[in-house]
Amino acid sequence: MGVNERTKNVGCHCLARSRLPLMRSPQLQAHIYILAAVATVLSAVCVRAQNVQPAGATNHIVVIRQVHFNPPQMTVKAGETVEWKNEDIFSHTVTADDGSFDSGLIDPDNSWQRTFQQAGTVGYHCRPHPNMRAALVVQGTNGTGAAANAASRGGTLKWSPPTKAQELHPILVNFTAALLPLAFLSDVLGRIFRRQSFHHTAWWMVLYAAVITPFTAAAGWWWRLTEGSTLPAKLITVHEWLGTTAVLLFVVLAIWRWSIHKRDTSPNWAYLTFALIVVLALVYQGSLGGRMVFGK
Amino acid sequence: MKLRKSYLSVFTSAVLLVAGAVTAYAQAPTDPQIAGIVQTANHIDINQAKLALKKTSNPQVKEFANQMISDHTSLEKSVNDLAKKLGVTPEDSATSKQLKQQAADETKKLASLRGKAFDKEYASHEVAFHQTVIDAAKTTLIPNANNAELKSALEGAAPLLQGHLEHAQQLEQSLGAK
Ligand SMILES: [Cu+2]
Repeated sequence: MGVNERTKNVGCHCLARSRLPLMRSPQLQAHIYILAAVATVLSAVCVRAQNVQPAGATNHIVVIRQVHFNPPQMTVKAGETVEWKNEDIFSHTVTADDGSFDSGLIDPDNSWQRTFQQAGTVGYHCRPHPNMRAALVVQGTNGTGAAANAASRGGTLKWSPPTKAQELHPILVNFTAALLPLAFLSDVLGRIFRRQSFHHTAWWMVLYAAVITPFTAAAGWWWRLTEGSTLPAKLITVHEWLGTTAVLLFVVLAIWRWSIHKRDTSPNWAYLTFALIVVLALVYQGSLGGRMVFGK
Repeated sequence: MKLRKSYLSVFTSAVLLVAGAVTAYAQAPTDPQIAGIVQTANHIDINQAKLALKKTSNPQVKEFANQMISDHTSLEKSVNDLAKKLGVTPEDSATSKQLKQQAADETKKLASLRGKAFDKEYASHEVAFHQTVIDAAKTTLIPNANNAELKSALEGAAPLLQGHLEHAQQLEQSLGAK
C-alpha cells in the first residue's frame, strides 16, 4: 500500500512538472533522453529476440532404427530444424562429437529436435552405443540468411500472443536488461549533474527491474523445465543459477535503493559499485543466454 | 595291392567325413536351442547389471548397468515375442549350460570385490562377455539358424551387441585411466 501511494505521489509530481510551460527544463530533458535510450535498447533486443526460432517447425527427420541413424549423413541449411525420431526398441542419444549438443536419452517412440545456426560439419554419436555414428553438414546461408530461412520455414511477421516459455523469456529479458543498466547510468548522471530527477528515475527503474525480473526468471525456468534437454547442459546450469541469484540481488538492490530514496539523498559509492557488479553479472548472463540460443 | 590301398584310403576318408558331419550336426544348435542361448545371455547380463547397481557408487558404471538392464530387457522381450510367433520354445543346450556356469563363477568373483576393484572387474567382464556373445552369434548362431526370421533377428542384434562392447571398452578405459 505504502509503495502504491508513493508511486502516485511521485507520478503526480513529475506530471505536474512536465505540464509546466518550461519544456526545456533539464529534468524533462533527462526523462526524454532516458526514454529514448530505453526505446533504443528495447528495439535492439527485440530484433535479437525475433531471430529466436520458434520450436516445432521441423525441416528434416533422422530416423533411429535397429541401432542406426538413418540417413547417416544429412545436409541442412543454417537455421533449419532436424528431428530425430526413435523408432527403435532401445533408448539412444544424439550426442555431438565436439560436445556442442546432447539430446539425453531418447526413449523408444520419442523424438528430439534441434535447430542448427552454426555452419559446419558436426559428427554425432549415441553415448550408450558408440558404434552408432552419423554426421550433419550445416550449410551457411549467404547474405540475408536468417530472413530467407524464416521465409522458407513459413515464418511470418504476423503478430501472435506469446504463449510459450521460449517466447516469454526473451521478451521479459528485455525489460530486465534495459532497466538495470539505465538505472545505474541515471544515478551516475545524477551525481555528475547534481540533479535529483535522475536519482528519482533510477529508483523507479530499480523498482521495476526488481518486480519484473522474478517473472523473467520464472519464464526461464519454465523454458528449462519444458525444453531443457534441447539446451546445452553446461551453459544452462550456469545460466539458471546465475539468473536465480540475479533475482535475489535485484531485490537487495531495490531495498537498498529505496532506503536511499527515502532519505532523498544521492546513492553512495558502495551502492554504485554493488549496482555495477550486478550490471556486469547481467551482461555475462545475457551472453550465456545468447550463446544457448544462437550457438557459439 | 595298389588298388586295394587306394580303396582303403577312400573308405577311411569317407568314414571320417561322415563322422565329422555327425559331430558337427550334434554341435550345431537347433532353433529352440539358439533362442535358449540368446535368452540365457540376456538373463546373465541383466542379473550382473543388477548386481553392479547394488555394489557400485561410480555414476558411469551405474549408467552402463542401467543401459544393460534396459537394452537387454527390450531384447529379451523381442526374442520372446518372435519365439512365440514362430512357435519356438527356447531350450537348454551344452552352450547355454556352459554360459550359465561361467556366469555363476563370475558372479561369485564379483560378489567378493568392492569399490574400484569391483568396477574394473565388472567392466572388463562385460567386454569379454559381449565379445563372446558376438563371436558365438557370428560363428554358430547366425549360420545355424534355420528360420529366416530368427536369422535376421540375430543379424539385427549384432549392432546392439557391438555397441555394448564398445561402450564397455570405453568404460574399462576410463576406469583404468583414473
Ligand atoms: Cu544407441
